[in-house]
Amino acid sequence: MKTFTVKDYKSKIKPVWCPGCGDYGVLNSLYKALEKLQLPPHKTAVMSGIGCSSRLPGYMGTYGFNGIHGRVLPLASGAKMANPENTVIAVGGDGDGFSIGGGHIMHAARKNIDITYIVMDNSIYGLTKGQASPTTQLEVKTKTTSYGNLITSFNPIRTLIAYKASFVARIFSANMKHSTDIIAEAIAHKGFSFINALSPCVTFRGKEQYDYFRNKSMMLPDDYDPTDEVRAFDYANDEGTLELGVIYKNIRPTYTDIIKENEKRAKDAGVPSKLGLLHNFEV
Amino acid sequence: MSRNNIVIGIAGSGGDGIITAGDLLMKSASKDGLFVFMLKSYGPQIRGGESSIKLRMSQNPVATQGDKLDILVVLNWKDFPRFKLELLLEDDVVIISDSADKFPEENIPIDKNKMKKWYKIPIAQIAKEASGTTQSKNIVMLGIISELFNLPKEALKESIKKKFDRKGQKVVDSNINAINAGQNYVINSLEKIDDLVFEYKKNDARIVMDGNEAIAYGAVYAGLDYFAGYPITPSSEIMQWIEKFLPKYGGTVMQMEDELASINAIIGASFVGKKSMTATSGAGISLMNEGIGLASITELPTVIVNVQRGGPSTGLPTKTEQGDLMQAIWGSHGDSPRVVLAPADVEDCFDTTILAFYIAEKYQMPVIILSDGFIGQRKESINPKKLKDVNAGFKKINKRRTPTEEELKDYKRFKYTEDGISSIAYPGIEGGEHHTAGIEHDEYGFPTSDVDIHHDMTIKRYAKYDAIKKEFDFKRYYGDEDAEIGIIAWGSTKGAVKEAVKKAEKQGIKTHAIIPQIIYPFLTKSFKKFLQKKKKVIVVEMAYSGPFVRYLRGFVDFGKYGVDLYPYRIPGGAPFTVEEILGEIIKVAKK
Repeated sequence: MKTFTVKDYKSKIKPVWCPGCGDYGVLNSLYKALEKLQLPPHKTAVMSGIGCSSRLPGYMGTYGFNGIHGRVLPLASGAKMANPENTVIAVGGDGDGFSIGGGHIMHAARKNIDITYIVMDNSIYGLTKGQASPTTQLEVKTKTTSYGNLITSFNPIRTLIAYKASFVARIFSANMKHSTDIIAEAIAHKGFSFINALSPCVTFRGKEQYDYFRNKSMMLPDDYDPTDEVRAFDYANDEGTLELGVIYKNIRPTYTDIIKENEKRAKDAGVPSKLGLLHNFEV
Repeated sequence: MSRNNIVIGIAGSGGDGIITAGDLLMKSASKDGLFVFMLKSYGPQIRGGESSIKLRMSQNPVATQGDKLDILVVLNWKDFPRFKLELLLEDDVVIISDSADKFPEENIPIDKNKMKKWYKIPIAQIAKEASGTTQSKNIVMLGIISELFNLPKEALKESIKKKFDRKGQKVVDSNINAINAGQNYVINSLEKIDDLVFEYKKNDARIVMDGNEAIAYGAVYAGLDYFAGYPITPSSEIMQWIEKFLPKYGGTVMQMEDELASINAIIGASFVGKKSMTATSGAGISLMNEGIGLASITELPTVIVNVQRGGPSTGLPTKTEQGDLMQAIWGSHGDSPRVVLAPADVEDCFDTTILAFYIAEKYQMPVIILSDGFIGQRKESINPKKLKDVNAGFKKINKRRTPTEEELKDYKRFKYTEDGISSIAYPGIEGGEHHTAGIEHDEYGFPTSDVDIHHDMTIKRYAKYDAIKKEFDFKRYYGDEDAEIGIIAWGSTKGAVKEAVKKAEKQGIKTHAIIPQIIYPFLTKSFKKFLQKKKKVIVVEMAYSGPFVRYLRGFVDFGKYGVDLYPYRIPGGAPFTVEEILGEIIKVAKK
């Protein structure tokens, strides 16, 4: 059997991200997670929407798809369900995922589509050069909040738990070892796995964003049970700290299982030849 | 004098069973091998409420529902005015209604002196006596008209048995009693009208389909693997049919959260090597435009069905129009090549769908099927053998071309080629790993903002059109090719145009009509050939702003051919009548 190394998961081109961008940490953790799982690059698809972080599929030696703004989840859902043999990983930013694409998350979560969705969250629109995003904190000045942001920011972890996503985690791009483990666990998880990756934007949020995330984040206790929904909500509601690790988990049939069961029922009801389908139109 | 072509209208209120009666009539005539064409119309209620059907049956092929009603059955006059357009009352009509209906006669929009006959029959009472309930008055009515006009009587009883079989013998018997009672009433109490007696020769049974079903069946037949969609009138039946049958063959159907999701899901499915399709209408196709651009620049085979409805915005969801032509051809921002096909009748929906998959897979681009509510919702009786043969030309439906071993050594997904078609690898193919993007890309698929690459890539994507134009030609011509009057129309207007051409000929006016199946790319050569002998050309379309005639003008300098153009463009809603088109032909002929 061929062994894959990080090199096999890299493409020929180098990232265009700014020096110091948190997305480098996420990308490197993703390479390592794939190496850890030994997933064949030709059976892996990494897909994205639009934004700085959505450039990521271009840096993959796997199959990659950089689609349109906000639509990575339907794109990845179609790819996964049309051939469940492949591993499908969706990536993007907080604007792509929580603003323009926000409507798709509950459906991918509800259907429990067996894909991993990594949102690189820097609480800013970077590609369009510094406007407020759904996760921009209160009072932060951006190019579209000149007098400070007055809108309550979106809490992705709490929302994803409410959606009953079957795997909800948070990582911090600077903590690559932990991020690698969590990404690998998410990919291995059967069902929809969501990772909120704190990924600073040094260009539009300054180096201070690293300090902000570092000071606020903390590891979940060793004895934490992510299937405890009440405790998971408690952590999610307490916005004073940002816990890192798998915050919430539930095990239920994936959409792949559901489609298989549906196919079985359809076949049990009889499988005519395709020409035999004409029988349904006979009078 | 008997006849072998008859047009029947039936209208009534909620609970009158109008649609059931229409379906039974349609099935019985199809069982006896007749050509049948049926339109249904509903009031605005979600369920129940008034409804009407217009049905034409004939020994010979029919292309439209027929203009003039021979027979009108009204089970409840109160709701009739809602259907005055669908069931236009003209002279010489025979009317059948319930004598117990107390609706004031002066409010009925027809001159009593001009109608052929008005039968007032105690329909509800006969029903009550025969079956114990007035509910069966639709079946009594079928008994009356089948006896009075010699419609397929035995077949009607068989259809009734088949329909009510699962409800038990008692229900079957009660309905058979009802139809017998209707027939006996005619035998005992009425006089037949000779020239309305339908006479026909039985033929092999035909099948009954509507346009949406024909598209759905065509897609499954063409090897569809993956369907994603969102319900919208009048296209939902396509998803419903595919959802029921595709899983039997291992395919996957996903009902998505919206149309944005649907189009992106099928692009994702195509990316992993599967034949994929979505179907929508109205607002749904507007939402899909950005995604169609993505399918275009990523050169991914996708089939998008638009069952056009009246617009703009919510418009007329249950009615037909041809207002989406420009959007289909040039929708989505930027230069985004795609192919646009238009089916012209129910059988053609099957054929066009198979062609759509063939073109999508071979030329790696989105293919839009522009159907409309008129074709999608109407039922036609079809010779099943013809559906089996229609695909003969595309027997080689193959999957997209995958890369050779040689190509995989340095795989360029978007390699420049003469015909614009590059090989396509998908997950599972080792060595074919590549990047696909909605952003402009080089031959490898990597992002670029290089102006020269954008120039070359745009031309590469459009180069496929030359190959398509070489491979295909027009195939639907009607009338006399030497005629000086030409008619150009598309899609569902075919039926009325075809019959108008025949009628005009009987009046001594020669015309020649062309109805393209491939709308875009524009098959210039075929059009130019068509125009050679023409002096006047009528362009028929059901869209007030005239997108079709403007589109044609963009490609053909009609003046150069010495041709005067006569656009005939009207807002949608009701299908064209033959008389309408004929009137236009006569007007233009006199000019």
